Amino acid sequence: MTLTAAVMSFAAVAILVTMVMALFRAARGPTTYDRILALNLFGTQTVLLIAVTGFLYERPEWMDLAMVYGLCNFVGVLAVLRFSKYGSFMEDP
Amino acid sequence: METAITVVLFVLLLATAIILGRQRNLFAASMLTGIFSLVSAGLFTVMEAVDVAFTEAAVGAGISTVLMLATLSLTEDVEAREKKISWPALAVVVLTGGALIYGTLDMPNFGDPHAVVHGEIARYYIDRSWDEIGLPNMVTSILASYRGSDTFGELGVVFVAGTSVLLLLGGRRSELPASGESPGHERPSSRPPGKRHAHVREMPVVRTVAKVMLPYIVLFAFYVQAHGDFGPGGGFQAGVILATAFILFGLVFGPQELVRHVPPERLERIMAVGLMIYGGVGVVAMLLGGQFLAYGVFTPSHPSHGHHYGIFMVELGVGITVSAVMIIIYATFATRRPSLAPQVVLDAEDRCETEVSADDVPLVPEERALRSGADLLAEGAAGTDAASEVPS
Repeated sequence: MTLTAAVMSFAAVAILVTMVMALFRAARGPTTYDRILALNLFGTQTVLLIAVTGFLYERPEWMDLAMVYGLCNFVGVLAVLRFSKYGSFMEDP
Repeated sequence: METAITVVLFVLLLATAIILGRQRNLFAASMLTGIFSLVSAGLFTVMEAVDVAFTEAAVGAGISTVLMLATLSLTEDVEAREKKISWPALAVVVLTGGALIYGTLDMPNFGDPHAVVHGEIARYYIDRSWDEIGLPNMVTSILASYRGSDTFGELGVVFVAGTSVLLLLGGRRSELPASGESPGHERPSSRPPGKRHAHVREMPVVRTVAKVMLPYIVLFAFYVQAHGDFGPGGGFQAGVILATAFILFGLVFGPQELVRHVPPERLERIMAVGLMIYGGVGVVAMLLGGQFLAYGVFTPSHPSHGHHYGIFMVELGVGITVSAVMIIIYATFATRRPSLAPQVVLDAEDRCETEVSADDVPLVPEERALRSGADLLAEGAAGTDAASEVPS
């Protein structure tokens, strides 16, 4: 195992540990904003995990995938925030 | 290392599912489903099912969260607590679950090399698809050419889903609010009423970021659409990403604004056009003397070129229909008046109670004749106005 691969493996382990902690926070709450933050963090960790594993498996085209995750996570979190603030998606001018 | 990552992700998936099942707050549950789909998409990626992971990421993490929240905005966001257990329902669930578990016993083990899919069929695709079709991404060859009829059926399912949402919810779409007048939303809600009249224009950061991102999202959708032959992606994924751009627009600038720019009446037609392109390619192949969706007949001298044209057109049809359906589902849910849904629920409860009371409470004979069960049913079903008058 080369040095870079060792570093990447360590990064993958660290990301998985962070995912477990984020899941714990999403499950426990206690407030809505803890959960929203956990969801956002989880999405970011997934993007990183795919980037790292794509490097480990030598599949650079997985970066496309990581981009979709980042994008969809952004839209998802935006929807959650909007819902938590206004309670609906209707526009009430 | 790979096995370790896979095992950890599976444990995370299981933990998320258990937490999700125990969650009573539906708002938290919809966020947990987002996490569930992120984990499963990561799992698909690690297991090198990249196209599936692509779809799961686009649909699960983005669109389905938005659609679930849109549904929550029409109903309550706390699950009703059932006091008593319904034994027939429990029996049905146990039986169905038992049958499904019994069915999995016949399935091959995970990663079994002797499973049918790893036998002749996979060998055939791996050996022949490069010569016959010549696309670097074998998944696209299988999806759009070898199993083209299956994909046609799947697209039909997407189309039916969009049509059903339109039939169920589209009719009572709320009108565009007149200038300076807000539609009265009387909804029993725990949230303070003033907050909902705040406007998204107060969020300049989000607006600016969305404006910058929108063209790139659309560009990325076109890239995924066109690049599906060479890398992960294709019509389904591109359609969902394109729809994500429109949904982002709707989230930031309001669904009414989205509907104003992209009228659902037009989307309904676009939705059908995609399916017709897909079916039309098949019919053209038949008219040229081939079989349905056998693209080789387009260019008899170079059958693989014909496959490329056919797959391109078919993927285009998929992308058009999927994006139109996704936008239409979001627009239909998001522009529906929130005040309708709880009243409909109230309506049903009241109807049950009134029916019981009509049998139990002794009425004067003439009155009983007048208030027959049919009348009560009609009254209960008459709509939202009647519901508020019936005592609960």
